[in-house]
Amino acid sequence: MTDPRPPVDLTCDEVRELAAPFVLGALDGDEAAAVRTHLASCDDAHVELSELAEVLPVLAASVPVAEPSVALKSRIMAAAAADLASRSDSSATPAPTAFPTADERGARSARSRAAAGSWAVRIAAVIAIAILGGWNLLLQAQLRDEQAYDQQVAAVLAVAGQPGSLTVVMAPGAATARGLAAIDPHGRMTLAMRDLPPPTGGSVYEAWAVAPGAAPVPLGELAVAGNGAAFMQGSGVPPSPGLVVALTREPHSGATTPTLPIISSGTATASG
Amino acid sequence: MSDTTRPLPLRVATATDDADRAVLARIANGELQALDELYERYKTMAYSIAYRITNDASLAEDVVQDAFLGAWRNAGRYIQGRGSVKTWLLSIVHHRAIDAVRRRRPTTPLPEREDVPPAALMLPDVWSEVAADLDAEAVRGALAVLSDVQREAIELAYFGGLTQQEIAARTDTPLGTVKSRMRLGLLAMRRVLLLEGGDTGAMDAQEVQAP
Repeated sequence: MTDPRPPVDLTCDEVRELAAPFVLGALDGDEAAAVRTHLASCDDAHVELSELAEVLPVLAASVPVAEPSVALKSRIMAAAAADLASRSDSSATPAPTAFPTADERGARSARSRAAAGSWAVRIAAVIAIAILGGWNLLLQAQLRDEQAYDQQVAAVLAVAGQPGSLTVVMAPGAATARGLAAIDPHGRMTLAMRDLPPPTGGSVYEAWAVAPGAAPVPLGELAVAGNGAAFMQGSGVPPSPGLVVALTREPHSGATTPTLPIISSGTATASG
Repeated sequence: MSDTTRPLPLRVATATDDADRAVLARIANGELQALDELYERYKTMAYSIAYRITNDASLAEDVVQDAFLGAWRNAGRYIQGRGSVKTWLLSIVHHRAIDAVRRRRPTTPLPEREDVPPAALMLPDVWSEVAADLDAEAVRGALAVLSDVQREAIELAYFGGLTQQEIAARTDTPLGTVKSRMRLGLLAMRRVLLLEGGDTGAMDAQEVQAP
């Protein structure tokens, strides 16, 4: 298994013979690649493959139902937000196309090199934390232990780096919770928190926007992970300096007025 | 037999399908809120399959994260009108989960890391699946048609992540026999589904499937 096998040219009959193991995922990497290479250039539509693949949803539907943890959503959303930010940093992203072409296959390795750029975003994020203030060295060290939170902060800082955006350092209030938020010029807010005590008895954490002289506007609930980290995104936040972002614990979802005390809050300032 | 070459009847597009496509279009446009919606809709399906294959909660979550990020990055590659977003997502989750178990059990050469689902699962006719929205009874019926050895070969492949060679070794069966068990088993299930597809079962399934 140490010698990479040379690429194999399969005949149509060989592809038909491999159809069932192929759709079931039972070919090794080289065999599967050989089938895909054949399909990419073959004039035959090889409908036998799709006929067999049509059955797969039944196999999938037969599994016992299991639920992911609440924290998974935060991780995914944060990673997607970081990806979005790195996309706008790079003009090298290829335009989406309906079918992967042979050229695109070749470009794949180039793209994985480009993915290294996301690390640059994360390094920039850690540096930016130091500049933004309110974050100590201990906190930076802890970030390394919590990849999800790291990505969440990276996502916030990616927004903070956009021209015209505002930054909010969320200081501890009634709880030791702290965090960071950024509001882009379109009023979309990205918020990462840590050290939130787990909500109890059906209570939820809710973020509020409080414009000077105006009633608090609910921005959305935060999903709190087991380690007390939370992430949320909201829209319709007035992107004006002086806006206060506050976090409260509400007895139920859907609160329209905040329940005191304030768990954590901060004032929006230009990211400059 | 003629019904092995006749394509399954195209499912009538449901409201869910249309909504899914709209969500995917927004994802292709870089809307995070749309990814949130797709996740809420399919997190249970995705995680259940990932967990069934990996049998490891943390690895299953990594797989689901990987799959949704794959969907996030490749939404523009989904082929409009060629079938349900649900099945597309399912193929990504399955692909990633198999990758993950093979990485954990590194005796099998790994496929090249890809952001895009395998080309064959993007072939047009894959999407004409009546099977996607079948209810539990129909699922049981289709699985019941398998012989024990067919079921074993199919499950070791689809859920176990074993290659055909590994299945042959484990079951002490010639490779050619393993291949035909998989093929005949899938074709038998397909025939059952074709019969089911002729009655009103599909209508009921649509209601069951609505979130």
